Amino acid sequence: MDRPESVAELTAALRQGGYLADRGLATALFVAIRLHRPVLLEGEVGVGKTEVAKVLASIFGRRLIRLQCYEGIDTSQALYEWDYARQMLHIRALSEQQVADPDAVDKLFGPKFLLERPLLEAVKAGDRAVLLIDEVDRADDEFEAFLLELLSDFQISIPEIGTIAADRPPLVVLTSNRTRELHDALKRRCLYHWIDYPAAEREVEIVLLKEPGVGEALTRKVVAAVQRLRELDLAKPPGVAETIDWARTLSFLGETDLGAAVASDTLGAVIKERDDLDVVRDNLAEITSGA
Amino acid sequence: MPERAQFVDMLVRFGHELRGAGLAAGSGDLMTYAAALAELDPSDLADVYWAGRTILVTRRDDIAAYDRVFRRFFLGADDPVAEVLRLNPGMPAGTSEAALVVPAADQALDEQQDRQAVLGLMASDAEALRHKSFPACTPEELAAVRRIMARMRLTPPRRRTRRTVPARDGSALDVRRMIRQSLRAHSEPAKLYWRQRKTRLRPLILILDVSGSMADYSRNLLQFAYSAKRAAARVEVFCFGTRLTRVTRELDHRRPDDALARAARTVFDWEGGTRIGGSLESFVSDWGRRGLCRGGIVVICSDGLDRGDPAVLAAAMERLARLSHRIVWMNPHKRDDVAFRPSTLGMMVAAPHVDLLLSGHDLNSLEELAAMLPSLD
Repeated sequence: MDRPESVAELTAALRQGGYLADRGLATALFVAIRLHRPVLLEGEVGVGKTEVAKVLASIFGRRLIRLQCYEGIDTSQALYEWDYARQMLHIRALSEQQVADPDAVDKLFGPKFLLERPLLEAVKAGDRAVLLIDEVDRADDEFEAFLLELLSDFQISIPEIGTIAADRPPLVVLTSNRTRELHDALKRRCLYHWIDYPAAEREVEIVLLKEPGVGEALTRKVVAAVQRLRELDLAKPPGVAETIDWARTLSFLGETDLGAAVASDTLGAVIKERDDLDVVRDNLAEITSGA
Repeated sequence: MPERAQFVDMLVRFGHELRGAGLAAGSGDLMTYAAALAELDPSDLADVYWAGRTILVTRRDDIAAYDRVFRRFFLGADDPVAEVLRLNPGMPAGTSEAALVVPAADQALDEQQDRQAVLGLMASDAEALRHKSFPACTPEELAAVRRIMARMRLTPPRRRTRRTVPARDGSALDVRRMIRQSLRAHSEPAKLYWRQRKTRLRPLILILDVSGSMADYSRNLLQFAYSAKRAAARVEVFCFGTRLTRVTRELDHRRPDDALARAARTVFDWEGGTRIGGSLESFVSDWGRRGLCRGGIVVICSDGLDRGDPAVLAAAMERLARLSHRIVWMNPHKRDDVAFRPSTLGMMVAAPHVDLLLSGHDLNSLEELAAMLPSLD
């Protein structure tokens, strides 16, 4: 598919790619594609923010280019860097006469010796790529300002080579876990969507789509239990990924029902924090009862 | 096309309503909105809703306001705010401030002459001021204390970062610089250059008790936060009473007193009383877990009089201790007593997780904090 004609079409395509998007997310993505705007996804851990970009890339047959942000990321890791080692070897291989050639240095700083990092790659690929800028909240503020510049005109200037611009911008997906508030200017450049935990019915669908081997009855019980877990006051409430893990674990163990004893044994698939384990163990009977 | 003009006109009016509700919906955003609806189906209310939400809303906290305006504008539903107000009988305006006595430090500066006279007196008295407890200070003395404090440098300890800088000798070769140099020297690598890991200041997080008895002390710590910001450190400030609130943003463009007064208005309920456990817990789960205090120095200023459940405080302190680098507790009741044993239940519960206990009741003890801070590594 090249580009979707309606929200419904996009939703169906995402479903085919293994991603169940609700109306809000599908609309945000549809507008992003049609208006060539980046989309910023925020939400709790494990609700499938990164997954969106992967599925988009696969259904549109585009290349996924991923930039994982972290504290201290700078342009040489995000944009480009000169391949110094190759340059050095190249110089060594030149004869004395060749070194004296005025073009030698120009060649040394040509595309051949340029190491492309994700952002440059994405600009070059243009609309044949989906650019995923993951966990942008982890990068420093200055990096955000730099991104802002890039996202507004999709061109990169390299002093030695010149300006490289995208004919048509790539589809850009940014994700953030809200460890800090992003700058308003960056947010306004993007479409914004908050991904919430899915409702029980949809979560059942998601698990069945991802793990077709798990029986529907068991899935319903697992989802009901997870939904109840999210109501508890946990330090790290389980995300959708945890639900899928839990269902897969239980199915692997050959269980068909979720009782308190089995739940207790497999709790490690959903609860990843010791304090939370204590809280959950105290309420286990209640959590699995209505399942 | 009159129909189209009408439609755009409606969107603009919707935008105005949103702005009235505090959302920052600029003209550019509205143009994007109109363009998006041209791609979508404007007769479908779900499209109108979701397109608006993704374009005009930029933060999660604004979603509720957007929903409210949308309901009123497109569905003609009554404003549910009125109901909320009825459910939470708010206190009469200004009541909460009674819990916090804001000193009129600036009123004393009304008359220039008086001020100069006072200043002259203060200068000779600076040493006496060092050991005078804050609540016992007159407004003029407090103003003098502030001036002394503004000159203090507050420097949190440093930590290593991922980035490297060129150094005389270090842990890794600076290949980039070596190539550049050897290019100049016609391809002969002449000399080894090194890079070293950079260090940066650890973040400093102040969690201040602003209940009646503690407000005087907390206010002076806020002044401290100002000094730390000047030292280019990342400083986050939170205030709590019955609830916790973040005041870092307010501090950027408000005077400390105003920020504190505003904070006091938001953190107190009718019944008042301090809930340290609950406040710290909400700090940990809303901010700490997201990494705000990772590797940081947390300074808590409170007398430890907790009206909540001690088990909640103990659990919150334990999690806080694991999320942060060091915890400093400032308890003004400690005074200069070296053999101080915490007597309040809250303090006793928190004590095992506190790395450094200071008093913070006078200028001298704040200087002590400033001196200890760089060594808390």
